[in-house]
Amino acid sequence: MTDTQAAPAPSPPEERPAPRKAPAASGRRRARGENLAGYLFMSPWIVGFLLLTAGPMLASLYLAFTDYNLFDSPRFVGFENFTEMFSDPRWRKSVQVTTSYVLVGTPLKLAAALGVALLLNKPRRGQGFYRAAFYAPSLVGASVSIAIVWRALFSDDAVVDRSLQVFGVHVGGWIGDPDMVIYALVALTVWQFGAPMVIFLAGLQQVPRELYEAAQVDGASAWRRFRSITLPMISPVLFFNLLLETIHSFQIFASAYVVTNSKCGPADAGLVYTCYLYEQGWTNLRMGYASAMAWMLLVSVGLVTAVLFWSQRRWVHYEEDVR
Amino acid sequence: MTSWRNTRGLRAAGVSVVALGLLATGCGGDGGTGAGGKVEIRYSWWGGQERASLINRTIALFEKKYPDIEVKTDFQDYENFWKKFNTQASAGNAPDVFQNSVAFLRKYDDKRVLLDLSAQVEAGNLSMEHFRAGLDKAGEVDGKLVGVPVGGNTFALIYNPAEYKKIGVTPAEGWTWDEYDAATEKISKGGLPGDSGGGGIMYLYDLVLRQNGKAFFTDDAKLGFTEADLEDWWNKNYARTKAGVLTDPKKIEQAKPTSGLSKDLSAGEFTWDNFLVRYTSETKTPLAIAPVPTTDGKRTGQYISSLMLSGSARTKHPKEVATFIDFMVHDPEVGKIMGYDRGVLATEEQFDAYEPTGVSAQIAAYEKQIADNVEPITPHPAGADIVEAAFLRIAADVFLGKTSVDDGTKQFFSEAKTALGS
Repeated sequence: MTDTQAAPAPSPPEERPAPRKAPAASGRRRARGENLAGYLFMSPWIVGFLLLTAGPMLASLYLAFTDYNLFDSPRFVGFENFTEMFSDPRWRKSVQVTTSYVLVGTPLKLAAALGVALLLNKPRRGQGFYRAAFYAPSLVGASVSIAIVWRALFSDDAVVDRSLQVFGVHVGGWIGDPDMVIYALVALTVWQFGAPMVIFLAGLQQVPRELYEAAQVDGASAWRRFRSITLPMISPVLFFNLLLETIHSFQIFASAYVVTNSKCGPADAGLVYTCYLYEQGWTNLRMGYASAMAWMLLVSVGLVTAVLFWSQRRWVHYEEDVR
Repeated sequence: MTSWRNTRGLRAAGVSVVALGLLATGCGGDGGTGAGGKVEIRYSWWGGQERASLINRTIALFEKKYPDIEVKTDFQDYENFWKKFNTQASAGNAPDVFQNSVAFLRKYDDKRVLLDLSAQVEAGNLSMEHFRAGLDKAGEVDGKLVGVPVGGNTFALIYNPAEYKKIGVTPAEGWTWDEYDAATEKISKGGLPGDSGGGGIMYLYDLVLRQNGKAFFTDDAKLGFTEADLEDWWNKNYARTKAGVLTDPKKIEQAKPTSGLSKDLSAGEFTWDNFLVRYTSETKTPLAIAPVPTTDGKRTGQYISSLMLSGSARTKHPKEVATFIDFMVHDPEVGKIMGYDRGVLATEEQFDAYEPTGVSAQIAAYEKQIADNVEPITPHPAGADIVEAAFLRIAADVFLGKTSVDDGTKQFFSEAKTALGS
């Protein structure tokens, strides 16, 4: 689905040099040649997109309106899959689990990313090392091996459990506790704050020094400077990170699947949306229902994105000329 | 992908040429014929590392005896095995031979995934003779032979004998549920829960139902019990969980994939008798095996189930598949290597060749002891696997206190009806 790799922060468009005047016909020919070369270079991507993304998407859109068990040919059922969802208690549960994961995990992750970015923004010895060290978890974070390590860390009487006991808190194993498993997953995503952190760092570097200097002269406190200068100045970057991380969170799968021992339990407490989708598709062989669920997710994420875009008028500040 | 054999001649020509050669042979696969004109078949199963190393030894034997057949292997844990299998099978690329069990026969036969091996039996490539105790019929569905048993197993109580000794109880044939409940309560007073909790195990509940003249599934692919029956069963188990007689389900969840018993979280649990092999390898605590308690002191409701080998209906090499299965179920050497890892060996050749010692001797003695009391197996309809998973999951919800017995029962019946299409 959506590729959520880190993209560079928005930069102001550059003035393009005016094209040199040339005879119209040969210019057009050259343009066509350049276009052709361009398409040629893009062709692996275009072919890949058509075959591996657009094709399957269309197929799944069709399957969403069918009853399909992978082995027999699909049977058209209209909107039945969609109406069934709302009366399916496990589907509602998966929506609830995913929503709470997004609502708790995303802000915490962004806060962690911004906090560390602020710390790393000041020039200090070993800055490069710290930046790399904090970014590292994002590189390995999506891997299954980390999820396995996570599972071990949060098990009964393992590192996390014992560390908390030092402070007199006794949770037991998080993975087996329906009330706690979601927090183990949240902790895993928060830990992978490296990618948004790098983007925040780039944003922080763009804030003009003189604003801080002027504020300092006026006697503004550090908190005041953060609230009145830093936050508004980096709000486009914050918006960008918020958007990306929200979309990303809705798609959580691998970590939940592995941490919960491929059961998304216990008691469906770790039943994130894609996990239920996967179970319906590959265990229960209900590909039509799974496709309908996938499209429902796409539409919902689209709606959330639209709301975020709508909300940005109120809190995202662009420099006049950039906008 | 490819074998080094093809490129051996190229090595002298230098590293770059070897690399090219690898690329060329790597792309030149024709799906089924391996190096040197060998027929290649793929074999996959579920199980742990220990089973894998045993199976690999049997494959080495097979390849030695049949140098023209090369066996490629693949294994996963139970859950992921079937997900991968579904992906492969729906794409028409199922492994040529794979491990199977009663719960899946009808499901995959309905989807035309399983090879009917009857023709191979007639052609003499596979023998269905010398199977123990009616196991030769275990893999038949509607007159088709879609599975060949490699081992038979039956339900049992695997327990910690030291704990039972402390309270002066010897679990024995003909004991009743009342006696069992009293014994486990007594044990749990000593601090260790008496039972890992079996309220979500479909096969155990099936036995309880059979003892009462019912069964989990009916012959016409429906549930053979009422909501009230299930509420009784779950209420009883819930009460015993709350009382600490059954292990805290949170701990059981945590221990997975290891069982509660082999993590020393309980004094016993109901499971398949061949699991004693695995459990004893997982714990230092000595374990023993006892029959399932009864309602009336007589009928256990037990039957012999089995793990099987099935072939893919799409295989290009049905003859080799049959040859392979025949070797795996009849060859005495294979029996000696596998032991009772997949249940008590299914054929007489293997059963006689293997001399069980230690744990395996316990299992053999157990199966011998209950042999007179076993009944025909309950038919497993298509969808049985999904019903089983729902039963286990919803029971966990209930015992963890996340769902009431009432709601859980309703949800189970609704999910089961969807899965069974009734």
